[in-house]
Amino acid sequence: MLVDLIQNTLDGLTAGAAYALLAIGFTLIFGVLRRINLSYGPAIMLGCYAATWFHVQFQVGLLVLAALTLAATVLAGAYVERLCFAPHRDRSAIAAMVASFAIWMQLEELATLVLPNHLYAFPALYEGGPLSLGPFTLRAEALVMFAVTVLACLALQRLLYRSRFGLSVRAVIDQPVAARLVGINLPWVFVRVFAVASALGAVAGYLIVASAGQVTPMLGMWSTLKGMLAMMLGGLGSLPGAIVGGLALGLIEAHSQWFFGPQVRDLTAYFLLFALLALRPSGLWTTPRHG
Amino acid sequence: MLELERVSRHFGGVRAVDGLDLKVRDGEIVGLIGPNGSGKSTTVNLVTGLFSLTSGQIRFRGQDIAPLPTHMRLQGGIARTFQNIRLFGQLTVWQNLWVAQNSPADRAKRGFFSRWLGGQSGVRDEIVSLLEFSGLAHKQDELASNLAFGEQRRLELARAMATKPKLLLLDEPAAGMNSEEIGQLRERILKLRERGLTILLVEHVMELVMGVTDRIAVLNFGQKIAEGTPAEIQKDAAVRKAYLGGDAAAAEGGS
Repeated sequence: MLVDLIQNTLDGLTAGAAYALLAIGFTLIFGVLRRINLSYGPAIMLGCYAATWFHVQFQVGLLVLAALTLAATVLAGAYVERLCFAPHRDRSAIAAMVASFAIWMQLEELATLVLPNHLYAFPALYEGGPLSLGPFTLRAEALVMFAVTVLACLALQRLLYRSRFGLSVRAVIDQPVAARLVGINLPWVFVRVFAVASALGAVAGYLIVASAGQVTPMLGMWSTLKGMLAMMLGGLGSLPGAIVGGLALGLIEAHSQWFFGPQVRDLTAYFLLFALLALRPSGLWTTPRHG
Repeated sequence: MLELERVSRHFGGVRAVDGLDLKVRDGEIVGLIGPNGSGKSTTVNLVTGLFSLTSGQIRFRGQDIAPLPTHMRLQGGIARTFQNIRLFGQLTVWQNLWVAQNSPADRAKRGFFSRWLGGQSGVRDEIVSLLEFSGLAHKQDELASNLAFGEQRRLELARAMATKPKLLLLDEPAAGMNSEEIGQLRERILKLRERGLTILLVEHVMELVMGVTDRIAVLNFGQKIAEGTPAEIQKDAAVRKAYLGGDAAAAEGGS
């Protein structure tokens, strides 16, 4: 019983690490643009598909595969920004969201056009079985996932609080008009934010696909849903909140799967989200914000 | 330096600015006054590119700037402060100035090669001197949102200066200030002129406008109703009527 509880917590935290990465990407885009990017997940899916295509054609190595996923996802993310957020910047938020939905469909069609089977194998990071730590088991992918997420968060923290680009991003989040008026090039900031967010998503996507050992077009919707859910759990627009929300979502899923069975897993998460939105609309983690 | 020619901006049926002609020469301090809603802030927003023109022309140093996006105008040498302070609250005082250094000269300094040749040091020196100019040197690591009101206004001015402007637009910089602070602000504005800046000052506080400007233009209902030296404006009948008839409180220096 206790062993199971701890095992579930471990599993939940590692799944949550990936959710946290997705939520951070979502939050960055939402913070800067005040727009929901539904195509965030599909861009990641396309990145993974591009890598899979190379894998199918040329049998490339793991590192090359990771690099390809990253590059293709960043490109797809920038494409989404150019096509549906740049033209609607000063216009309706709904128009941008609908456009991002249209691009979602477009990216899915594109992926299934190039790789028409529903499912493709994706090479795992580590071929051996799960590692055992006393009574607990942990997959190598899960360990990597957790470590990479921690590193990515630290790198992002440094980027946002130390680099001039990061400070400009926070200036734009805080005071978009004033940021324009001190000569910050907003379109350029937006593209780079999309690139950073997509890179984080690509890391999450690659690790998820590698630990699942397969890639399907559903990855797009799955990433968008998990990322958005985790972002809303943590509180819209807060980066620490995104991390907390991601981990919380992972834990909730792992434990509810154990308690209620796998069919009810997602339902529990959605139910909790509704409860949270009703009782504490600002999310689990609220930082004082202004503007 | 700055020329507005028959500049208009209509919002639906409202003529916020209507056929305005205004010239600001190099090194001048020009005041722009008028009752609330007379089009002063709209004029500032037109010059900085936050609003687009309905008709007319705006030339900055001889160049038509109407097609340029805001950040390009800034890089061209126009800067402004806000009536309602808009600092980057979650950034420190130092960082507020650092992210504002977007002039072409500063961009060149941050270029790939000069970065390795120590070009960054000049950028730091400028921030230090701006902090001293604004009396904020001891607060450089404070978050901007934690500053007192007067300090925030000084930081906004310093941030505008960090973009290395040739033309500075001040939108009601004295709002909410006491007499002593207004005196300090006047000193600071005069010092900026000595450094070669041209200034367009939008202001309600007559104590400041009359004491610091070379020339004043008066707006009412989006049109210029008078222009002249501070002494001439004080005597102008149309101006008195606009202020006392339109909004008596404004003439007293309220906002």
